[in-house]
Amino acid sequence: MKRIWLLVVALCLCSTSLRASGLEDKVVEHTMRNGMKLLLVERHTSPTVAAWIRFRVGSVDERSDEQGIAHMLEHMLFKGTTTLGTKNYAAERPLLDKIEQTAQAMIAEKAKRGHGDKARIAELEKQLSALEAEASQYVIKDEFFELYAKNGGVGYNAFTSRDGTTYMINLPANKLELWAAIESDRMQNAVLREFYSERAVVMEERRRSTDADPENKLWETFVASGFLTHPYGHPTIGWQSDIENLTRTKAEQFFHAYYGPQSAIVAIVGDIDTKATIAMVERYFGAIPSGKVPAPVTAEEPKQEGERRIELVAEAEPALLVGFHKPAINAPDDFVFDVISMILGNGRTSRLYKKLVIEKQLATDAGVFEAPGSRYPNLFLVNATPRAPHTATDVEEAILSELELLKTEPVAERDLQRVLNKIEYEEAGQMGTNGGLARNLTEYEAVAGTWRYMAEYRRKVAAVTAADIQRAARQYFTRENRMVGFITKKGGEGK
Amino acid sequence: MKRLVLSILFLVTTGTAVALAAGGKADPRTMSFPELRFEIPAAERVVLECGMPVYLLRDTELPIINITALVRTGSVYEPAAKAGLASLTGNVMRNGGASGLSPEKMDDELEFMASAVESGIGSDMGTVSLTSLTKNFNRTLRIFCDVLLHPDFSPQRVDIARRHLIEGLRRQNDDPKGIAGREFYRAIYAGHPLGAVPTFASANAITRQDMVDFHHRFFRPDAMILAVSGDFDRTALLKELNAVFGKPATTSPSALPDIPQPTVDFRPEVIYGKKEVNQTVIRMGHLGITKADPDIYALRILDYILGGSFTSRLTMEVRTNQGLAYNVDSRFDVGRRFTGSFIAETETKAESTGKAISLMEEIIAGMTREPVSDQELRAAKEYIINSFMFGFTSPASIVNQRARLEFYGYPPGYLENYRDNIARVTKEDVLAAARRHLKPEAFKLVVVGDASKFDKPLATFGPVRELDLGQQPEK
Repeated sequence: MKRIWLLVVALCLCSTSLRASGLEDKVVEHTMRNGMKLLLVERHTSPTVAAWIRFRVGSVDERSDEQGIAHMLEHMLFKGTTTLGTKNYAAERPLLDKIEQTAQAMIAEKAKRGHGDKARIAELEKQLSALEAEASQYVIKDEFFELYAKNGGVGYNAFTSRDGTTYMINLPANKLELWAAIESDRMQNAVLREFYSERAVVMEERRRSTDADPENKLWETFVASGFLTHPYGHPTIGWQSDIENLTRTKAEQFFHAYYGPQSAIVAIVGDIDTKATIAMVERYFGAIPSGKVPAPVTAEEPKQEGERRIELVAEAEPALLVGFHKPAINAPDDFVFDVISMILGNGRTSRLYKKLVIEKQLATDAGVFEAPGSRYPNLFLVNATPRAPHTATDVEEAILSELELLKTEPVAERDLQRVLNKIEYEEAGQMGTNGGLARNLTEYEAVAGTWRYMAEYRRKVAAVTAADIQRAARQYFTRENRMVGFITKKGGEGK
Repeated sequence: MKRLVLSILFLVTTGTAVALAAGGKADPRTMSFPELRFEIPAAERVVLECGMPVYLLRDTELPIINITALVRTGSVYEPAAKAGLASLTGNVMRNGGASGLSPEKMDDELEFMASAVESGIGSDMGTVSLTSLTKNFNRTLRIFCDVLLHPDFSPQRVDIARRHLIEGLRRQNDDPKGIAGREFYRAIYAGHPLGAVPTFASANAITRQDMVDFHHRFFRPDAMILAVSGDFDRTALLKELNAVFGKPATTSPSALPDIPQPTVDFRPEVIYGKKEVNQTVIRMGHLGITKADPDIYALRILDYILGGSFTSRLTMEVRTNQGLAYNVDSRFDVGRRFTGSFIAETETKAESTGKAISLMEEIIAGMTREPVSDQELRAAKEYIINSFMFGFTSPASIVNQRARLEFYGYPPGYLENYRDNIARVTKEDVLAAARRHLKPEAFKLVVVGDASKFDKPLATFGPVRELDLGQQPEK
């Protein structure tokens, strides 16, 4: 007991000396010769470590005939390599090729729609299941997961967005080398086995997240209507017909094109020795050919020249979304929008909460967010839940008057100071968990171009003035630039 | 140079050979690691003058302090005709002002400091929490104590909270997953306070005075435990807490009414809710165990093998092999005070509803027929034991964990012996626990979706009771 207490005291002393320094002194940056970027932070609070890999590849980087492939590939990269996840790759491989030929023949036949040969489709389906069953004898299911789990790894997962794809794991600190061994193998030798059964899983994921959830369905329709040409309008998971036409060949091409060290940003945060960790990562990843990063999206969304209204009729009570086009991260006005977001939508002192929820009681909640990505020009959004008997129209009017107020009355100094105080608190807390810090480091490095975005953030926001807010409100919160989305209850009295 | 580093690494490993391929890279299947012995970090337990236990863990990595108060209360103590009273009381404690500080002023003060004070009441615990930068701690602590002990329950905020509850009820059938979860717990806890849900009538019956009384009855210094972590000054903190909570109460000690355990009645039922969706929500299960059951360790292992991991039997078959679902899992929620539950869940396209239900029931029943394999048992133990340290990654999680164990009356040494108790479980223990606690023939099966598109009539699984999802008008 006493010994442990002493240990705690010693730990405190050591971290007090660190405390004077900010994030910039704690992050060690190392770029490997093949382009892979490492961001490391030593934190000795617990004997654990978080390892995140962020690829600079997201659904915006897909071509029109492969939409949904980035997310599908995220699933497929859990399936193993030439040595993991298989008992005998040499024997498995010819079967995987036959599966692919059969699946492609089936997709081609189905693409003929009414003219397709139904008997042939049925025969191909039968063949495909037989081949999959035959191939499965060689498969060791989810061996990556099994290896991480038996070593105490938690939170092994991945996610795909418009802007990028991330794989993460937390491990006991002594087992970080397992991560390097598995992830370097995955980067070079991934085998996309079990593709077509996983595609069925992704279709269930789509039904679960979108089709059966009215608010998410409204969101998907809203975003698609917000972008006529920019790929931000396309749902990351893909539309149902996109998913039905994905193939292993398309996924492999996408993988080999973009998922090398050049597009990888790695954050390792926790109980590590920085120098030894860099050496270890170099040993595993150093020889991998660099690969390439997708070229920037060239599509430019034309200026919206009139309000767009999107209605979803659903078995659900009304919901409301109001959106405006705005510039990407790092644009000077993006910081102005961050301040506007906090003043309108952050907490119980926010204007929308005070006006809509407490004073007028039109809504049970109201929030502000920016989406669907941040690398490219995106949307500023307000959502609210109308409270009966008030309608979505009542709530829309109240939101628009709050936006008008930003144009006519300068924001008070105390409101700006509250925003800065909140950011100060968030800065203090961002070192609080290994995973949270790893997430922020990789995300900002990817979308803002540098993790130092976090270190400079408060200064940038402090420069935003009441006049900037008024000017931006007048410029962006216009009828022409506005989108309104709402749910109308099926069989209800209507809006 | 590379060689040298490797040989040093080799020396400090636990002894088994490291399988090194060319270039100094280990094989993930066979690699071994330097030893890491994890000791559970200690928290100090002190007792205030009033008798209240306080767990303390000072850590100055961040200039932030966290406090949580755990309070012996809960929705199980609310009258059925006022279902929702506990949750509303927890809501308005924070939102309705305290000690003369108006709701607006409190919000303004807290948010200007970027501090947070929140309150809530669940089924068998109330919590009030504080988060603050060190420099704003004294003022935030005052507000925290006032919310905890002297909430004002502003009439306007009481009305708003009730109206929000009513709006929530109006919307409670919008999301098929929400319907299925609610109806499952209503069915297994039927007749017990844990199975009660708010209604328009109960929400309208709750008065401000009910909330004042509910708070007064339960939020007393002799019914709380505090957990404090972060960058605090120990002496000043204890002095302040003693000043706030004072001397031992002269009133009679807090006595909670005795709530009986739910009736164990294993009767199957098929419950159907109609929604026009292309994916069906499926929930199945029954009552489970309390923490006093000696099978808790065997069931923790059973959970991992059956439905608690990415390589569990349910995920492997329903998702990975058959592509029937994105999400499928199962778990025993061990009851800390009242009998807990076993639930298995998935969502699948309407056309495979019957197939998925049969498959899940069969996989679950399989646990009661044959012992699990050596490999499954080993994998489950390795995961649970090796990942144990992740329960203790922040000072706040360490003190909160300790406070919760005392709050629920876990035996001394529960955490310290946890890994050994897991390690001791045998295949036979898992089988015996499965036979004692899993009864697929007595599942409450809740299905929400569009039965006209199902592959099998739901009646295949037993007589169907259809839910009325039409909402009765407010008032």
